[in-house]
Amino acid sequence: MAVRVIDVRERVMEQNERIAETVRRRLYEADVPAINLMSSPGAGKTLLLERTLAELGSALRLATIVGDIRTQNDADRLARHTERLVQAVVTGGACHLDARQVSAALDNIDLGDTDLVFIENVGNLVCPASWALGETTNAVLFAVTEGEDKPLKYPKVFQRSSVAIVTKTDLLPYLDFDLDRAIGYLRDVNPNIDILLTSARTGAGLDAWYDMIRALVPDAAHAASAAG
Amino acid sequence: MHEMGVAMEICRIAEAHTGSAGASRLRRVAVVVGNDAAVEPSSLEFCLEALLGQPPFGAARAEIVREPGDALRVDYLEVDDGCAGD
Repeated sequence: MAVRVIDVRERVMEQNERIAETVRRRLYEADVPAINLMSSPGAGKTLLLERTLAELGSALRLATIVGDIRTQNDADRLARHTERLVQAVVTGGACHLDARQVSAALDNIDLGDTDLVFIENVGNLVCPASWALGETTNAVLFAVTEGEDKPLKYPKVFQRSSVAIVTKTDLLPYLDFDLDRAIGYLRDVNPNIDILLTSARTGAGLDAWYDMIRALVPDAAHAASAAG
Repeated sequence: MHEMGVAMEICRIAEAHTGSAGASRLRRVAVVVGNDAAVEPSSLEFCLEALLGQPPFGAARAEIVREPGDALRVDYLEVDDGCAGD
């Protein structure tokens, strides 16, 4: 019996990153940006998207990819607010979306008839931060019902994100949540992160979120200025 | 669950390299896990041992090496070359 050593030296995430790169190229060539929404479970990703689809859906062609470990409940909720495709990805146990799943979901989306793709990741602050999907922008949601120190506990997802959407701000009067401290922690882990204070329930702060979305879509900015 | 996803990816890499090297059996997988890789080594080892005990592997062992930084890579494999009667 001859024992032999095979030198591998392959990064574990290499194949995922290769597929993510092909997704990124595909989106870039179609001129379609994609926003990857990450958060802990229950931070309000689906409600934010429900409201966004309802309020921007007539001006922008928005497609959605929704990941969940089990059930298509979130996809069903979102589908009630849009005529366009909501692609459910049931990960069957995996706690995050990976690039292969997003690539397969994109096969069902007509990118030529799409302005922007939302990717609602599986609710989890750890794993989604390690798996590139080919997204244009990473957004992390942070509910005021969570601890102020979430950014310190889960720095990677906040470091990877260019925007933090603080959600459920309508509940602040009823909570001991210290918003200034939370914002301080966000800036400690990512000094460049944009911070949006929102409530998808009341609509507070959503204009800034919508502006951010419009700014990502080149044609939308053009259409808005032409209309103005 | 994060570690299981990582372990499955490691097994995919190990299987690909074992097959392309024409080796019949995998004995050991050495994985480098950086201290900042956001991977818990003992959970990863547990997941790997579970997967490496299943077909197509059999009874391969996982060896986890720590290092500074956020590296996460399959370093090397130890394989049998499959002599007759093995």
